[in-house]
Amino acid sequence: METSFYQALNDIGGITTDFEQAGYICTTRIATVVYLAAQLNKPILVEGPPGVGKTELAKTCAAVINKPLVRLQCYEGLDEAKALYEWKYGKQLLYTQILKEQLGDMLEGAKGLKESIQRLHSTGDVFYAKEFLEPRPLLRAMEQEQGAVLLIDEIDKADFEFESLLLEVLSDFQVSIPEIGTVQARSKPIVFLTSNDTRDLSDALKRRCLHLHIPFPSIELEARIVAARVPELENKLTDQLVRFVHAVRELDLKKAPAISETIDWARSLLLLHAEQLDSRLVHDTLNVLLKYEEDIVEAEDQLTKLLKQTTA
Amino acid sequence: MSPGSSSQQLLEFIKFLRGRDVPISPADSLDAVHAASLLGYTDRSTLRDGLASVLAKSPHEEARYHEAFDIFFGLPTPRDDSDMASSTEPNDQNESSAEDTPDDTGDQPATPSSALAQAASSSSELSDLLDSSLVRALQSGDEASLSIAIEAAAREAEVDNIRLFTQRGQYTRRLLDALGETDLRDAAIQLEQKNPAAFHELQELRERLRLRARDRVERAYLVHASGDTEEFLDNTLAQVKLANISPHQMMRMRKLIERMARKLASRHGRQRKRHRRGQLNVPATLRASISTDGIPFTTRWKTVQRRRPQVMAICDVSGSVAAYAKFLLMFLYAVQDVLPRTRSFAFSSTLGEVTDWFEAMPVEEAVNAVNRTYGGATDYARAFQDFADQALMDIHSATTVIILGDARNNNSDPRLDLLAEIKSRCKRLIWLNPEPRVAWGSGDSAMLPVIRHCHLATECNNLKQLERIVDKLLADSRR
Repeated sequence: METSFYQALNDIGGITTDFEQAGYICTTRIATVVYLAAQLNKPILVEGPPGVGKTELAKTCAAVINKPLVRLQCYEGLDEAKALYEWKYGKQLLYTQILKEQLGDMLEGAKGLKESIQRLHSTGDVFYAKEFLEPRPLLRAMEQEQGAVLLIDEIDKADFEFESLLLEVLSDFQVSIPEIGTVQARSKPIVFLTSNDTRDLSDALKRRCLHLHIPFPSIELEARIVAARVPELENKLTDQLVRFVHAVRELDLKKAPAISETIDWARSLLLLHAEQLDSRLVHDTLNVLLKYEEDIVEAEDQLTKLLKQTTA
Repeated sequence: MSPGSSSQQLLEFIKFLRGRDVPISPADSLDAVHAASLLGYTDRSTLRDGLASVLAKSPHEEARYHEAFDIFFGLPTPRDDSDMASSTEPNDQNESSAEDTPDDTGDQPATPSSALAQAASSSSELSDLLDSSLVRALQSGDEASLSIAIEAAAREAEVDNIRLFTQRGQYTRRLLDALGETDLRDAAIQLEQKNPAAFHELQELRERLRLRARDRVERAYLVHASGDTEEFLDNTLAQVKLANISPHQMMRMRKLIERMARKLASRHGRQRKRHRRGQLNVPATLRASISTDGIPFTTRWKTVQRRRPQVMAICDVSGSVAAYAKFLLMFLYAVQDVLPRTRSFAFSSTLGEVTDWFEAMPVEEAVNAVNRTYGGATDYARAFQDFADQALMDIHSATTVIILGDARNNNSDPRLDLLAEIKSRCKRLIWLNPEPRVAWGSGDSAMLPVIRHCHLATECNNLKQLERIVDKLLADSRR
């Protein structure tokens, strides 16, 4: 069975501890879905606001099972030539030029066009063989002998057509190349798709995936995450910082700070040798946490209130 | 616990979810069964998390899923375990425990309550009754066997056929009959005079049983019928004249519009761009090959350059038509995913662009604000003139113009020449009239001449029709 490649993912408790050792604190929900994905050979569609660790999940998974991570970043206009495979046109042309004389030799003595064509046919499709195929991330992931983690990042940025293209890859782990035929995956990779919810994905794609929605974490969980990522920071400050971020998320902001921003902020505070949050420090470093000027103004207006909530 | 019966339970749950508007395909159910067999039924929260990843496909559905899971499998109390167990027991055993056969000799004797026990010692009938597994379960609070009995009786009484909320009483009675509650009632009647203390104890048992039975029936209603009712309400609402929709139905209406919009968006969104991959652009390739001595090292492919579709909606917001305008605009803004460039204009006597308003505030608020600002007596001539001044230059061959109005112009000239000009510039001109077709042309309606100047003129006064129009609009804008 293919799942034998992913023995590390054979029980839920093991997944939780392994991921934690790799620096990713995951809830049982996440562990359960990863476990199911490995057992059922189904891709995971990870949704949630930006910066909650969707991409990180895939990276950690690759690290835990010690397999290569193949990443496909989606964008508008992404097509199969960039995602799946492409013919090496240049190489094909170069070879035809080099082999020109050989072709001449081969066709020597052929009577008429018909015979020449027949001789050409007898060589088979030499120029449309695997050697001329340039594998792109999807094909590359399927060519791994010993399993892999395939990360299809921000699938919502790609066009609808691209989703249809993925269907064959995701449900059967195979690719149809017209010139060659159907190529089966050597091993079934563990697939993560991430989406930021900028648009609805097609039902056909959703149907093939396990769904995982990662929301902003609870205070306790986020404190654990920060502690795992920035262990040098003092517990007390970590606690204050996380509570402050949670209070900020309650505000009416253009973009609420995500976990990645909390971690960045924690690192900044560490660099500044901060011992506890005070209004000056927050004022100076707020731009790490908030990315829009109007958000920063909004938060600064309420700074005293926010600080009171966190230190209380 | 045999796997067959637990998957039966799971399928029931899936049916329940479908009733609550969580779409689940047969393939999803298969996945759910696989997932459940991998996870096992023992750890409830793991099962809940695992099934969520298979059955719920958006945060929105996930919330509903969790709610449904808790209703269906009961809240996490000891009771729910026994519920799970109940329907997984083989059928014949259930029957026997539901009947009043004192066959559970292996069970530890329940501690009988004093007054009732004393009464029983003097009457063999009563002691037989008290010895029945049902009563013993009631007395000892043995949830497991109680639910087994109720589940079996529920099957016998066909409780799951309940369709209407008002049938609850009737089905509860039937369920109690199937449980053999009549014997208890008869015993109670006998005791009422003779032994009030024992009577009260028995009544208490009966009341407990009745509550359990009612719970079971209500759950059956929630599981099997509420979905149908919701669907029925939605269907009716979609066919009601939009002007007759009362404010308290707005919430439901808005949800309905959102759902229709989602459906349309996913149907049409897929073909956002037309592909032409694989077609060589020969001239460009040859041009590129000049630098490599005529050998085409770099290939150029054909691409499609298309003007993005654009929709302009012109809505009459005078009293008679305002309600319709509201829904049209709500609908158009709900499909922004696939129809990204909608400009909207509102008029009654004067016309103004209101696109920005929709960007600045939620659709409903914006619609109300538009009504306040532009409401008044209609003047089509003025409105067309204003529109021509403001937006005629922006209309191009990929623009669809939708006009919503009753074409009643208080007997003055509606300036149809301007309408003709709009038509000549745009790709499609659609006129939506909330009046029924038979009323067109009657009184001061200028609808008949208007038809000539439109690509499509149609009656539109309920949500079904509106959905059809938007569907058509989306289909056309892709072409």
